[in-house]
Amino acid sequence: MTTESLYPFLHAGATDAAALLADVARSTREKVAEIGRLREEVLDADAGALAACASEMADRFARGGRLYVFGNGGSSTDAMAVASLYVDPGPGRRPLPALALPCDVATLTALANDIGFEVVFARPLAAAGRPVDIAFGLSTSGGSANVLRGLATARERGLLTVGLAGYSGGAMAEAAERGEIDHLFVMPSVSVHRIQEAQTTVYQVLWELVQRALGST
Amino acid sequence: MSTAFARRRAPIAALGTDADALAAACHAMARRFHRGGRLLALGTGPAAADAAHVVVEFVHPVIVGKRALPALALPGGGSAATVEVFGGPDDIALVFSSDGAEPALADAMAAAVRSGLLTVALLGGGADGRGGAVGAVPGLDHVIVVPSEDPRVVREARVTSYHVLWELVHVFLDAPEVLA
Repeated sequence: MTTESLYPFLHAGATDAAALLADVARSTREKVAEIGRLREEVLDADAGALAACASEMADRFARGGRLYVFGNGGSSTDAMAVASLYVDPGPGRRPLPALALPCDVATLTALANDIGFEVVFARPLAAAGRPVDIAFGLSTSGGSANVLRGLATARERGLLTVGLAGYSGGAMAEAAERGEIDHLFVMPSVSVHRIQEAQTTVYQVLWELVQRALGST
Repeated sequence: MSTAFARRRAPIAALGTDADALAAACHAMARRFHRGGRLLALGTGPAAADAAHVVVEFVHPVIVGKRALPALALPGGGSAATVEVFGGPDDIALVFSSDGAEPALADAMAAAVRSGLLTVALLGGGADGRGGAVGAVPGLDHVIVVPSEDPRVVREARVTSYHVLWELVHVFLDAPEVLA
């Protein structure tokens, strides 16, 4: 969608701030409705798969597993949020071991500087990952090379592998087809922002289901 | 599962009713950027991820052709001292909190008001339903409260809020006649 179609007033040579404010308020309401619809679509398509994934994740945690989360840019901040959610969930919930790989800046910059950015998640997983653990990779495009390498390395070592992607899943969808990702959830949107918002809901609902499966509600 | 999704519907849809408030906040932010101001993002705990996220949105836009704007996440999530060290009168302080209960963030926003920064708060309702201690800081310019006590649901609404906020700031920056 072009800026012109979203904000016709802007392109009509608007000089009136009030009219532009009304224009952007309308576009905001449209975006809020759009993310609402996208969440419903994801629920309709993936409810069963999300329940199955949460059950396998809970099983790993119950056996002493740890969660490793990773992504680039905005998705690296989602990795931070996921780790924070598991480790420090607040009263009445069970804290669980989870680490955001992008937050280990020493390892990340060492690997990026010495080898290349495509190994920054694969190497730490090769070093620390055990078959009882979980690897959780986020990418909006589904095409991030280092996220794909991380998930592939984790899968080789027997970790449970979970991926979140957008658009039509990109290279992550192909990897899932080949059996290299155990659970892949694709947010069917072409907006990076709406994809990230739907992914936030998916990983937070997965966390709720894991807590419930472990007897903490 | 469907209950988990259903619980999110109303509080997030409520953002639609805040559309005018969001638009006004973005207009004010665009005017600060136009004057050479910078965005300082504040948030601790799970909201630290949001502070980091909004910074990367502004500094490295996902939409090709949108210009990079100066933004940074304050060290340690933000405090009165870091607002005073980094903040100037043209700048913007944007704070995220799920319940507004953090005293350090309330102090930080009070310092931002004193220093003449534009102040924007994206909060969850918290115990008082009005964004807690942070929401109660006198003199805040724009306060948007998500009507939910569930920190997870608040966070989802907040992610949409700051995505919209980034986009709308650029809409206003593309209309110089409204920036004076």
